[in-house]
Amino acid sequence: MQWWCSASGQPWTWAPQYYPGVWLMVAVLAVVYHALSRRGRAMGESRGLFWGGWLAVGLVWQVLDWPIGPLAAGYLASAHAVQFVVLALVAPPLLLVAARRPLAAAVPASGRTRALISFVTQPVVAGVIFNLVAIATHVPAVVDGLMPSQAGAFTIDLLWLVGGLVLWWPVIVAAPPRPWFSAPVRMLYLFLATLVHTGIAMVMLVRDFPMYGIYELAPPWPAWSPLEDQHLAGGVMELAGAAVIFGIITVMFFRWSGGVDGDAAPPAPPRD
Amino acid sequence: MSLSRFLAPCMAAVLLSTACAAPAPRHGVPIEPALPRPSFTLTDTRGIPFEFGQETRGLLTFLFFGYTNCPDVCPVHVANVAAVLRKLPFEDQRKARFVFVTADPARDSLSALRRWLDQFDASFIGLRGDEAEVIRIMSGIGLPPAIRGAAGPDGRYEVGHPATVIVFTADDSAHVLYPFGTRQLDWAEDIPRLLRVRRQRED
Repeated sequence: MQWWCSASGQPWTWAPQYYPGVWLMVAVLAVVYHALSRRGRAMGESRGLFWGGWLAVGLVWQVLDWPIGPLAAGYLASAHAVQFVVLALVAPPLLLVAARRPLAAAVPASGRTRALISFVTQPVVAGVIFNLVAIATHVPAVVDGLMPSQAGAFTIDLLWLVGGLVLWWPVIVAAPPRPWFSAPVRMLYLFLATLVHTGIAMVMLVRDFPMYGIYELAPPWPAWSPLEDQHLAGGVMELAGAAVIFGIITVMFFRWSGGVDGDAAPPAPPRD
Repeated sequence: MSLSRFLAPCMAAVLLSTACAAPAPRHGVPIEPALPRPSFTLTDTRGIPFEFGQETRGLLTFLFFGYTNCPDVCPVHVANVAAVLRKLPFEDQRKARFVFVTADPARDSLSALRRWLDQFDASFIGLRGDEAEVIRIMSGIGLPPAIRGAAGPDGRYEVGHPATVIVFTADDSAHVLYPFGTRQLDWAEDIPRLLRVRRQRED
């Protein structure tokens, strides 16, 4: 039994595999989210928001566990792209939106922790961190080097989730408060911050040969070739990623034009 | 004879030979000394005797011993060569042959061989002979023999076989072999170089 999905080089089988590490990580995520959502409800957040968070926990579980997890780790680049979209672009905003008030309240009024959170969640820094993660985790040498080991595959999955939380924090939690980071600027931030992963998707779409050795040399997947799989992966990143980002930008735009700018304006954290 | 009159033709000869030499492949494992193109006769998927040495003489020839029930190495190796050959100009495609010799004649009938190869490229040549003959051919070109593994409860078994594609160039020799793990990009870099061996002779 493996504790995390990694590229095994063995022919694919539909016999279920068990990954205790995935269950542990999802359990930790669920416990933390449950605690935050209870505090959020006490702070007046609407009940409907929490279902989004639980949906995110469920999605994270589904993309990390069998069968998507092992398929993404060693057989299909397209499954890996689905993981990226869910872990970096879909789950983080769903998790943060319901937990934004307790998270904002948890940011200390002063001290090193506040300075660190303040620095990491500066929009420019957060955008750079997310894009560095996106680039580094799609470099062929990095993917081929990390995916065969459980620790390496775990690192990539964790980086995507953490990178996604960092990307979305300034837009949703907005603590420490930044008055200049208004709704139009947030929309521009989201647009700019996700250009890099769109570029990565374009590279995957136009390349004539498979980029990743682990998928090219994996035991064959009957439905499509490694190159078709790579094109599919690029399409998933491009279309699903764009649908998420532009969907959220559109909602933000209409809320802003309708005079509602509350998405990223939770109450300022209490000061001691 | 002055020194310059002696050196000039020598330098010209060196420069000419350098200009005409085919560039060395960048990937694969060199075979030294080069392996001459073997002569053997097996049955092709049409049921007709196929004399390898004669039928492929002067052509860029990929020779691979595998089996159609192979779960991993064979389909990946064959698919990667096929993917790159498909991208070559038509003129170059005509100068290349892929020959697949089954190392599992007990299960690989001629029709099964044809069906399997057609998944990759209908022009790929499938050959079948009796097990002893195939082992003799493999040892003749320095390959270890294929070994049938123990059958599982369902009667299925795997065959241990060399996972290398041997490439014979137009000079009727193999200078390099490609182990499993060779990427499409590697083939795409090397095949044009291997094809140049023919052009060198033609020039």
